[in-house]
Amino acid sequence: MAFCSPHTTTSLRSPCTTIPNSGFRQNQVILFTTRSSRRSTTRHGARTFQVSCAVEKPIVIGLAADSGCGKSTFMRRLTSVFGGAAEPPKGGNPDSNTLISDTTTVICLDDYHSLDRTGRKEKGVTALDPKANDFDLMYEQVKAIKEGKAIEKPIYNHVTGLLDPAELIQPPKIFVIEGLHPMYDERVRDLLDFSIYLDISNEVKFAWKIQRDMAERGHSLESIKASIEARKPDFDAFIDPQKQYADAVIEVLPTQLIPDDNEGKVLRVKLIMKEGVKFFNPVYLFDEGSTINWIPCGRKLTCSYPGIKFSYGPDTYFGQEVSVLEMDGQFDRLDELIYVESHLSNLSTKFYGEVTQQMLKHADFPGSNNGTGLFQTIVGLKIRDLYEQIIAERAGVPAEAAKV
Amino acid sequence: MASALTNVSLSTFAPTARGDVLARPQVAAAAARVTFPTAYRGSGALSCRAGGPSTPSGISDKMSESIKEAQETCSEDAASGECAAAWDEVEELSAAASHARDKLKDSDPLENYCKENPETDECRTYDS
Repeated sequence: MAFCSPHTTTSLRSPCTTIPNSGFRQNQVILFTTRSSRRSTTRHGARTFQVSCAVEKPIVIGLAADSGCGKSTFMRRLTSVFGGAAEPPKGGNPDSNTLISDTTTVICLDDYHSLDRTGRKEKGVTALDPKANDFDLMYEQVKAIKEGKAIEKPIYNHVTGLLDPAELIQPPKIFVIEGLHPMYDERVRDLLDFSIYLDISNEVKFAWKIQRDMAERGHSLESIKASIEARKPDFDAFIDPQKQYADAVIEVLPTQLIPDDNEGKVLRVKLIMKEGVKFFNPVYLFDEGSTINWIPCGRKLTCSYPGIKFSYGPDTYFGQEVSVLEMDGQFDRLDELIYVESHLSNLSTKFYGEVTQQMLKHADFPGSNNGTGLFQTIVGLKIRDLYEQIIAERAGVPAEAAKV
Repeated sequence: MASALTNVSLSTFAPTARGDVLARPQVAAAAARVTFPTAYRGSGALSCRAGGPSTPSGISDKMSESIKEAQETCSEDAASGECAAAWDEVEELSAAASHARDKLKDSDPLENYCKENPETDECRTYDS
């Protein structure tokens, strides 16, 4: 709609389109025709394409989280930062799990289930179990996309529990694989240019699922609890260990601002950022590498109960050096958000206030008033910056990192 | 506890904030770059949410059926793979139900028409 910012759309323009080259346009046309005529000519098209413009090879992002832990919301924030809204593929299977925008394609890794619902029931395995997933195919197809080739990806239908006929996925600029196991298989993991893990504590997971399911017929507190508990052993064995490989982890915990809070309304959210990742410079508060505790509420900024508290500092996470930024509490007013944004550095924004603008744009998304929305937006900006630096490097132009 | 949790409000800072922003000099400079109308749009969507669409009955039936099935399966052996798989199916259907509700929420006929035909008169938007 009319609210789109021009800044985000220009930012992801690949250097290819800005280089004046009369031959390039022609190659693009060739590529387009060969792509649409599917497999027989794809290889030829891809070769022509690579010669003309190597930057079209996508960068691949992995996002891991349990079911019902905010992956969809994160994806909507992410694609918004990249510019444009993500939509399901037009004219395809209405139950497709894929989202496509101008720059980004997001696929759901459930599409690589090797056992459908009936098969899992018969064998007594959950979808969390690697045995229910085809990692060979996942690896093959993510690799193909990374090489700039189109794939015929299966579709797992979440309503029927069956595998539907495959859909054709073209290589985008940014390819996101989201699901339960993006970092489980070493081969797939090695293809990722950046990886994120959403780590939702049990208390918060319970609260979120109550919000999601309580109104549903048949569900009760007991059934929600039973479902979380029954899935937990597989979750702990196969999903949770992936967080050690993530370049960024968003941890969602109950607040410490309200003693013995068990409402799950106010959240404490940590953004754990790995140090030494190429093209990823962690965000910091006031002074890079120091340990900071900050309560922005006071004479300059009045906050409503229970207030807002930030902390930042170096730490170790699974034996690796990380920087951790933490926010406890929630924003009740715009000036709180803009005040906080103005005190954070290395945000990779294109202009002052971009984080605030993104948060306002999606004020109706869950978590827009707390650290989940803030840190998801920041990670989106960092990935945009990473993309631009990778493209600049491929094009042989020295990367100009965002300064703000 | 249950009622408190289901009542969780997604309160936004936006609508009340506008007056404050103008009153504060250090924020006024930034305000020029922040697109405000979105704030109103966001808060509008929130009020719609309260009476959001209900789950399509097909998924809803499947889900309540799967809950019953899971309870039965687990009454025999709560530690079995079958029990975990049964509750995993409940989770999958609950997530599918939630996504289906989101989809319904987004399916405004005019918005959909305008996505395809942004140039038509009824889809024009004007910046003030």
